[in-house]
Amino acid sequence: MASITLPNPGVLAASRAVQATTEQPWVRWSLIAIAVAFLGVFLFLPLAIVFSSALERGVSVYVGALREPDAMAAIKLTLIAAGISVPLNMIFGITAAWAIGKFDFLGKSLLITLIDLPFSVSPVVSGLIYVLIFGLQGLLGPWLAAHDLKIIFAVPGIVLATMFVTFPFVARELIPLVEAQGTEEEEAALTLGASGWQTFWRVTLPNVKWGLLYGVILCNARAMGEFGAVSVVSGHIRGRTNTMPLHIEILYNEYQFAPAFAVASLLALLALATLLAKTVVEWKARQQSTELQRMSGEAL
Amino acid sequence: MSIEAVNITKRFGQFTALDNVSLEIPSGELVALLGPSGSGKTTLLRIIAGLEFPDIGTVRFDGRDISDRSAQERRVGFVFQHYALFRHMTVFENIAFGLQVRPREFRPSRNQIRTKVHNLLKLIQLENLADRYPSQLSGGQRQRVALARALAVEPSVLLLDEPFGALDAKVRMELRRWLRQLHDEIHITSVFVTHDQEEALEVADRVVVMNEGRIEQVGSPDDVYNRPASAFVYNFLGNVNLFHGRVEEDKTYIHEVETGHVVYVRPHLLDIARLPNGGSHFRARIKHINAAGPLVKVEAIAEWGDPVRVELPQERFRSLQLMKNEEVFIIPKDVQVFPVRNEAARAK
Repeated sequence: MASITLPNPGVLAASRAVQATTEQPWVRWSLIAIAVAFLGVFLFLPLAIVFSSALERGVSVYVGALREPDAMAAIKLTLIAAGISVPLNMIFGITAAWAIGKFDFLGKSLLITLIDLPFSVSPVVSGLIYVLIFGLQGLLGPWLAAHDLKIIFAVPGIVLATMFVTFPFVARELIPLVEAQGTEEEEAALTLGASGWQTFWRVTLPNVKWGLLYGVILCNARAMGEFGAVSVVSGHIRGRTNTMPLHIEILYNEYQFAPAFAVASLLALLALATLLAKTVVEWKARQQSTELQRMSGEAL
Repeated sequence: MSIEAVNITKRFGQFTALDNVSLEIPSGELVALLGPSGSGKTTLLRIIAGLEFPDIGTVRFDGRDISDRSAQERRVGFVFQHYALFRHMTVFENIAFGLQVRPREFRPSRNQIRTKVHNLLKLIQLENLADRYPSQLSGGQRQRVALARALAVEPSVLLLDEPFGALDAKVRMELRRWLRQLHDEIHITSVFVTHDQEEALEVADRVVVMNEGRIEQVGSPDDVYNRPASAFVYNFLGNVNLFHGRVEEDKTYIHEVETGHVVYVRPHLLDIARLPNGGSHFRARIKHINAAGPLVKVEAIAEWGDPVRVELPQERFRSLQLMKNEEVFIIPKDVQVFPVRNEAARAK
């Protein structure tokens, strides 16, 4: 209370600290120049090259490369893989975060470690796991072959590999958020007569919606861009088991640079859109978290 | 609706939060559960609400056993310590929540809900803040919204967990008077948890003093303050001086060494005089005087070396004109004697 009438000591200390820790102008400017040069060479230049190479031989070649049947099939397969794995991982992420954030149980930290596993395993290994399980020489291979089910070198394998690799994104984003929010609001909803479902839809979910959206955006970007794991299980059958990243690789290896960059530009656009959406959502989520801090701060 | 808790025991791992507690709350009363932190008062409240389930024991509402009912089915109004308002809903939506989640056949119409919420907003004097979000309200306003939200579902019982704990002193005082007034208007059976003895004594019809998972005493504020059942109650409900003592033929003796009994004297029940009055008294030297406030607080050292706190009315202090380091006589006007118990020693 006293800090309202007194000059805020925090602000004073901060302004002094800026002066105390600052450097000579030439040091500052050269550091900034290095950072900008680094960004330019490693980020903006490649991005510019992707688009300029894609349009090098004119718009008609660009559009043609995208409308070519194999490219269309690759785009479609990428959309299917992301369209299945993102919603499933979203449901999984919400349930995992809910269980971990709201309840205490034995083996909780083990579960968190397991959720993180796809982050620590190389994507190629992730793909190989599925080959070893579902492949012809694999664990379930003979049984699958006998029942005429195809998983490896087919769409199901690609979806499975994508799901595995993007598994932690939503859960990782939500767990700390759900933990920070505690269970009081849910308890309040229960005492007001709400059922478990009503509590979840009306209280729990709205409270984490920005974190959830953020996780979904990241999950989607990774699902569409995944190369390693999908490459192992796909078999690279043109027009059937090629996703966009795999299609780009094939075109590039065949020296079809303009079409390769045309398809690549689509993925780059996706990255830019993701970045934009991520920034907006982060900004919204930060607003919400400062609100959360303010409320709990005042409550204490 | 009356509330009965019978032989409730609740453990959290090794910690026994409630140890065979039984409590009866008659319909329409405003009851305070008072005790230090860890005494089990919040656990008892949460068990009544159905947010926690006892390991052993039953809870009855109006004589009906509701031990197996969930919080959702018990129709209690619960006000949380940190309010637990739904932060993504406006004040209006918060209060309307309990009505909107009802099954369709029991749900009031949109207009009925609006009328009801506006009546409650009028009751809590926040009519013009219906569209605000909880983060835009002050602590006291949030507390009132939480109360209105709990009352909206017309609960049979109102339970409040440290309802004023997070507010500053002035707002706290206003709100507790307001709660008392509100209870006198709507007569709903209410239980509130507090660790502030002043709050409990001022607001409640009856006070339940708890300590270490057990009930020490149940009684009116007058009872628990003036006729404490145990050393703990006496100690917890105000400042005290502790002396070793013994009782012999209706006479109390204060001793320098440890005896079987402890003598408790509240600071305002000690008087100071320059001459011995012929009755009970002991010598002391004045160490410190604080004359700010309605009572003058005098700290002295008794003849056997222990510190003694005395509180004198301002007039008495002025007529005595006490000085620091002066030798005086201290005269106990009323004392309480309890046998030595571990709890009393710990509470000190």
